[in-house]
Amino acid sequence: MISEEQQDQAALYALGLLGADEDAAFESELRANAELRDLVRELREAAGGLALAAPSLLPPASLKERVMGEIAMETERVVQMPTRRASFGWVPWAIAAALAVFCGLLALDRVRLERQLADIRAADPLMQTTFYTLAPSAPAPADAKATVAWQPGRQSGVIRISNLPAPQSGKDYQLWAVDAEHKDPISAGVVRVDKNGIAQIRFKPVEKAEHVKAFAISLEREGGVSKKEGPILLVGST
Amino acid sequence: MAETPTAQQMLDQEMIARVGRRDQSAFSALYDRLSGPLYSLAMKMLGDPAEAQDALQDVFLQIWSRAGSYDPEQSSVFSWTVLLTRSRVIDRLRARGRRSRVVVASTEDTPAAAADASTVESAADTVEKNDEAARVRYVLTNLPSEQRETIELAFFEDLSHHEIAARLGQPLGTVKARIRRGLLKLRERLNTL
Repeated sequence: MISEEQQDQAALYALGLLGADEDAAFESELRANAELRDLVRELREAAGGLALAAPSLLPPASLKERVMGEIAMETERVVQMPTRRASFGWVPWAIAAALAVFCGLLALDRVRLERQLADIRAADPLMQTTFYTLAPSAPAPADAKATVAWQPGRQSGVIRISNLPAPQSGKDYQLWAVDAEHKDPISAGVVRVDKNGIAQIRFKPVEKAEHVKAFAISLEREGGVSKKEGPILLVGST
Repeated sequence: MAETPTAQQMLDQEMIARVGRRDQSAFSALYDRLSGPLYSLAMKMLGDPAEAQDALQDVFLQIWSRAGSYDPEQSSVFSWTVLLTRSRVIDRLRARGRRSRVVVASTEDTPAAAADASTVESAADTVEKNDEAARVRYVLTNLPSEQRETIELAFFEDLSHHEIAARLGQPLGTVKARIRRGLLKLRERLNTL
């Protein structure tokens, strides 16, 4: 049996109206009382339902892109950090500092790229942009990175590459769109990095790519090839 | 005894479990399902689209990082995310000392009352969600007015029960009783509709 006073506390708790001390005391009571826990759960559901009483709105589509971009970056950081620690465990602080700087630079790159795309979007607000994050695969350096912003409606995109050293003489990097409707990757052209291993290039695949699953960069003969031959250095999906 | 989860709640639980395993496509689907109601709540409390969007971004990043610790015994995914949103919005309101900007619209408000015309949902796209919202509005509207007013002040305006008592000029015990009775009625009527 739940007393009226407990019901009062349960209602205030469900709405987050108890102070820190009262919260702690009530939570201790909750641990010992299954019936009270059930009541709190149901009152929470009622409180949660109150959100639906607010006038119905939708956030702008660009917010989802921002959120998805953030979690893609976070995922990359999580995936990369253990690898770095394992390889260079004897210099953990130096690696941590380098990663922090690297992540900061990546974040800046992304902001710059998104700003550039915001201008494009302003001209056509209905246009959708999809972001692809390309991670290195051997033999690319472990800190090589690329981000692709792809606009299917325009069949064009922008790629930003960092930490990818210039290829040896007689070779070029080539960008490919991996499309669900095409057996082979579609060439999106040769990409050339500067002496710092950075490139930011607009591209357009040579064939229509309406269902792009991933983008990849391979090492090819100088000037590029019509069909991929060399090893993949960077690859990534949305 | 706790209620049996609805099909939608079970689907939400499946999606949040996948998000907990870092599944970005499940996260994307969960975003599509929840962003409308959560944004609407943030807008109602903050009254500013840019701030509401920033709050919503924080909320979804929190959902991404905390999905693994979601406990279905405590609340449904929907209620969990609503309460997360409310908590983030309250942080913002408190940090900026801007409670005065909050305007609690009456439950008879038209959906477009506080809306940016570009972001109002199209009726055709949101029939299902609006049905649910209509149910809540109906139940809320039919609560005794003093209970409805007290609950709205507590939920949307982040007023403590002490502050509500002061604002309404009512004893603290009366305010607590109104919140309890109102919330219990809301729960009961939502379950029976």
